[in-house]
Amino acid sequence: MKKLWKPALAGALAVSVVSGCGGGSSDGEAAPPAPEDKTPVTIQYWHSHADAQLAGLDYMIKEFNKKYPWITVEPVFQGAYTDLQKKLLAAQAAKEVPAVANVEVSALPNFADSGVFMDLGPYIKRDKVDTNDFSKGMLKAYAYNDKQYGLPLIVSTSVFVYNKTMFDKEGVKPPQTWAEIDEFAKKLTQKNGNETTRYALSVPGWDTWYYDPWVVNGGGSILSADKKTATIDQPDSMKFMKKFKEWKDAGYMHIGYGKGASDVMRQMFYDGKIGMIQHTSALIKMYLENAKFEIGVSFLPGDKTRTSQIGGAGIAVMDLAPQNQKEAAWKFIEFMTSTEHNVKWAEYTGYLPTRKSAIDSEEGKTYFGKYPQYKAVFDNFDNVQPREQHPGYPEFSAFYKEALGKIVLENGEVEPLFKEAAKKMNDVLKDY
Amino acid sequence: MSSQPNTAAPKASPKKKPFFHYGRIEGLKDFSLALPAILFLLLFTYYPLVNSFYLSFTDWNLIKPIKKFVGFDNYTRILTDDRFYHVLKVTFLYTIIDVIVTLVLGLLLALLFNKQSKAYGVMRLFVFMPYYISMVIASIVFIWILNPKYGVLNSFLGTLGINPVQWLNDPKTALFSLIMVSVWKSVGFTMIIFIGGLRSIPLDYYEASSLDGANKFHQFWHITVPLLSPTTLFLVVTSFISSMQVFQSVDIMTGGGPLESTKVMVMWIYQMAFEEFRAGRSSALVVIFFLIIMAFTALQFAVSKKKVHYEG
Repeated sequence: MKKLWKPALAGALAVSVVSGCGGGSSDGEAAPPAPEDKTPVTIQYWHSHADAQLAGLDYMIKEFNKKYPWITVEPVFQGAYTDLQKKLLAAQAAKEVPAVANVEVSALPNFADSGVFMDLGPYIKRDKVDTNDFSKGMLKAYAYNDKQYGLPLIVSTSVFVYNKTMFDKEGVKPPQTWAEIDEFAKKLTQKNGNETTRYALSVPGWDTWYYDPWVVNGGGSILSADKKTATIDQPDSMKFMKKFKEWKDAGYMHIGYGKGASDVMRQMFYDGKIGMIQHTSALIKMYLENAKFEIGVSFLPGDKTRTSQIGGAGIAVMDLAPQNQKEAAWKFIEFMTSTEHNVKWAEYTGYLPTRKSAIDSEEGKTYFGKYPQYKAVFDNFDNVQPREQHPGYPEFSAFYKEALGKIVLENGEVEPLFKEAAKKMNDVLKDY
Repeated sequence: MSSQPNTAAPKASPKKKPFFHYGRIEGLKDFSLALPAILFLLLFTYYPLVNSFYLSFTDWNLIKPIKKFVGFDNYTRILTDDRFYHVLKVTFLYTIIDVIVTLVLGLLLALLFNKQSKAYGVMRLFVFMPYYISMVIASIVFIWILNPKYGVLNSFLGTLGINPVQWLNDPKTALFSLIMVSVWKSVGFTMIIFIGGLRSIPLDYYEASSLDGANKFHQFWHITVPLLSPTTLFLVVTSFISSMQVFQSVDIMTGGGPLESTKVMVMWIYQMAFEEFRAGRSSALVVIFFLIIMAFTALQFAVSKKKVHYEG
């Protein structure tokens, strides 16, 4: 990582020197008119696309260059989202920024709040981009305080991936509601004495992204509507956790917690020790390629509501970049998220198409024919919601994650632990 | 020398030396040679140090252009936070066990391998080897070795009839697993330094004492231990500081979890600044932590004045 970082910084430095070094921060009410200027310009794109997605990125950049030959895009891999985010912080502090960067959904409020990203609104208006073509939830995830700071680029949501071969053999179907889970789990779980040898289902405990939708689906919420107090300790919000504990104590449910838990869950699933796992839709492709059995995909079961939350990353323009780079950067993100290459991009990356028009196209239909598993996601396209948006989210979400950890690892009691978590969350919320 | 009364006042030189006399020019030359190093230190050590002191009084979040002055708020928030005391406890627990185990084990290995022969040289090499493996790589490898379900260690213990241990996944064993990796990695270095110390003890002492009838244990306790004390002090101070500042292995292997059981100070500082966007408060934590380490290092030196024997 370090090795990449230095040349990247040097690169960013060089770019800014060449382009005359400047901060030209726009107040952003009106976008500058589309320039006819075709002077060559180089922009850096700091991304988190893993190896498997690089072929897709190459393809997209080549296509982009056909359309805008005077813009050179230099992609720079900056590690996982959290690593990228830290590097963006450093770049912003050093005032040497790339023109375009990925942004993970939960980090957006902080960056937007501090003026790191350019408001895309004026550009969207100027170039008449039809934003209604995006799923509403996806678009909203990259807006903050009614301003659009990014566009959805690689979108995922958590789904249940199941062992279809096993399910068919046992004669079970993936549960569609919480109420169905008991019977489903009873049928699928195998035990040797008191020890479970095959779990019916697994929900990741290592990231709140996986159980935030459970909170919501139970009728609860993480924060109050005015975002001033924590509501995680309300009966409806805790309902899922009580269910989880019931299922866990009955030996039906596996909950991974801590580092490395993801690898273990994956391996147990491959080994047939878990029937159904909640994971990101971005990995459906990986499961299809690596499992020795047939893979099925099902949307999260619902209770009061049936939703799932958006994951993945968007693409945004850095406000500190010089004006000519910003213009080029806008063209780049518009291209990257356009209908034209949407399905192709989704196929390359394993993420979801984001444009309704692309899904309805001939190409989209072929795509679903090839990967019927994604159908489960798209039948619920409009039930994919944005995450809880709050600059303090990375800090306060740690508290209820810890409460869940104590329940999973130390068999703690739900109510006192969630009450304590809410209290700690409220302390953090006071600062905002 | 100093007891000698200074009767004659130094004669004032009748002629004033020119401004650039020989000594001064030499001095400037020496200084100019040290200058690059001093500039480097100023820029990369002292400036950040002073700057983090300044930041600790602000509410900066790393990206906001404005740094609002908040006085001692960051300090009071940290010192009244239960987590601070928890993290301090974890850090000290880690450091104390790590330093003691590494030093004791290192000394035993040094005594065992302090022989001049090829075979021992090879064995020393094996013990020392982990030291030059990068901590990042070692950590990634150990994640798999310690994996409760698929790890090599548990499958080995299984053949001995021992039930699988959760290692990094259990709050009770996670910290010890980290210490285990740290000891594995640094014990070779400790051993080499101890061997160096052992070899600098003149053999005459051992010969003389054995003529007087001292047995091996007496020799070890009354000759080896006292004369090794400068080496021990060096190792205690350096390993204390580096253990207090442990980060890489924690970041990679546990991320501070499970359930904060391995959340050491530097890990918390890092998370606060880069994950929770609280650069100001984490700078305050840096300052507090700096003072703690400094106080303990001073204490070690004070104790050592009484206990460390320098030969000659």
